[in-house]
Amino acid sequence: MARGAATGPVALMVSPSRLAWRSFLRDRIAVAGMMACTLFLIVALFGLLVTKGDQPVLDPRQVRLADKFRPPLSLPNRQAVAADALPRLGIYLLGTDELGRDVFARMLEGAFVSLSVGFVAVGIAVAIGIIFGGIAGYYGRASLGLMTVDTLITGLIDVALSFPAFFLILTVVAILRPSIWNIMVVIGLTSWEGTARFVRAEILALREQDFVQAARALGVSGPRVILRHLLPNAVAPVLVSATLGIAGAILTESALSFLGFGVPPPDATWGNILSDGKNYLFDAWWLTIIPGTAILVIVLAFNLFGEGLREAFNPRLRQL
Amino acid sequence: MLWFLLRTGWKKLWTLFFISVISFAVIHLAPGEPSQIDPMNPRFTPQQLERYRKAFDLDQPLHIQYLRFYQRLFTGELRSFKDNQPVLPKIVERVWNSLWLFLAGTILVWCAAFPLGITTAIRRNSVLDKVTTVVVFALISIPGFYLAYLLIIFVVQTFHVDVIGLRTFGHQGRNLVWSFMDRTWHLVLPSVLGATAGIAILSRYVRAQMLEVITSDYVRTARAKGLDEDTVLYKHALRNGLLPFVTMLGLIVPGLVGGSVIIETIFAWPGIGRLGYEAILSRDYPIVITLNFVAALLTLVGTLLSDLLYMVVDPRIRLEGVE
Repeated sequence: MARGAATGPVALMVSPSRLAWRSFLRDRIAVAGMMACTLFLIVALFGLLVTKGDQPVLDPRQVRLADKFRPPLSLPNRQAVAADALPRLGIYLLGTDELGRDVFARMLEGAFVSLSVGFVAVGIAVAIGIIFGGIAGYYGRASLGLMTVDTLITGLIDVALSFPAFFLILTVVAILRPSIWNIMVVIGLTSWEGTARFVRAEILALREQDFVQAARALGVSGPRVILRHLLPNAVAPVLVSATLGIAGAILTESALSFLGFGVPPPDATWGNILSDGKNYLFDAWWLTIIPGTAILVIVLAFNLFGEGLREAFNPRLRQL
Repeated sequence: MLWFLLRTGWKKLWTLFFISVISFAVIHLAPGEPSQIDPMNPRFTPQQLERYRKAFDLDQPLHIQYLRFYQRLFTGELRSFKDNQPVLPKIVERVWNSLWLFLAGTILVWCAAFPLGITTAIRRNSVLDKVTTVVVFALISIPGFYLAYLLIIFVVQTFHVDVIGLRTFGHQGRNLVWSFMDRTWHLVLPSVLGATAGIAILSRYVRAQMLEVITSDYVRTARAKGLDEDTVLYKHALRNGLLPFVTMLGLIVPGLVGGSVIIETIFAWPGIGRLGYEAILSRDYPIVITLNFVAALLTLVGTLLSDLLYMVVDPRIRLEGVE
């Protein structure tokens, strides 16, 4: 009893996010996912550095017809390939494709493109989700004649959830022609519902609390109350849905590539390397296995990271 | 109770209205203004544009366009660009083929996801739990078509059997038993592949729900009363653990169209997803737009069903309206 009284106040000084973080670190699978995501980020940035520009260190677009379909770890044919076209590393680490392009360089280039598809799409989705969720939560009771703001926005969320997301994305991309920006925007526009719901729920729960009343009494404007005082409380669920959203966007991009509506060449993404490579599955297995496994690993990492965050931030599921 | 029904119905009506507006609005994404004709782009020919303008009354004001679109759709006046057949019967015909795939997939999902989710929740943090977590997430993380190719190659090379299409080609004269077995076999791979994502998502959902239930007060009370573990888990906890069954009922319906595009394309399955993909490839806008609308409508019906079922199985929902 005496001991409990002594440790009680100390325990209270630990903030909830600190508690969540501790619980997260104990989940080894989730930590592995987080580390893989970080590694992927570094690889993607590194890939951008070495494959962009006029004289890239590793040129993903260098065509060497004499050296097509070389398996991983094979040496270039020095008689047939021009000296300035030889791979900088002196070896095809991950083989070459049907045009003799270095798969290693293409994977490095694609890492950044795939990652930016994920990040931009999720950025758009989160922004829309915060705006809609914030308005529905904070101004929900305002009337618009036939219905309230909240009814309107929850209605919109229901509508957005009703459409078959993938087919709608396919429709819009097919109508507007596939370009990397169209794909990012369309994926973003069709995946904001989760964030909007979480933000709305969080704000509804906090709207009547004293600190919000105090802020309003001080004359703080509505948008500022939402962004500065309410939104920080919804960071956890937003972070979770963003992490899972990046995984989903990378997968959606690869599925679009498979159907011929993905990011068009010359940009390489892991999705279009995979969908081009599958045509040569029996002649050149590495063109399918390498990007396919890479997508599997990175999407898995984001999913496990997100799931770990979800469990850690949910006090009822948290394990101490 | 009545209040709840009315409120649900009112909400669904609004949703239906928005759905119809958005399905219709997709039309305006397509080339509608002459300025958008790009001579370099073979898709936007003037003939195509003219046909498009006529089919969707683009010279009328917006609200007339909207009303005319749904009038044409339901009177069978809206016809496919490709073969000039009314759109709705064409879709219904294909739904039939997809339905088998969908039913087989859904049964697989339920049979696998519930036991899996409940077991992993009860044995949280066991090796089984950790392994299933990773495997289940791997299943949703793998690009569907990649998994499909690997599986097809594996099955064809190991068993030397035909897996593509509705039935084996060139065996039309065989007896009933044979063709029934043949059709069932052709259902196996696509439905297993279609079910993987569903199994993964639903089992996580069931696990989360079951975890919440297990840690809730009434389960602790049941334990404190001295009930044995089996009664606590299977009689008290399981009932609430089964709630995702009802929730998912509404959410699996979009998979009928969206989820089946890739699987049906790979397996040359003449279903609704493939119809949609073919329509997109051939710029058959009436079909594409109607498919989006029909799918959203089906989902709406699904969520309505799940709302009503919720009312039956979960008294807390019914009480919500009274407050």
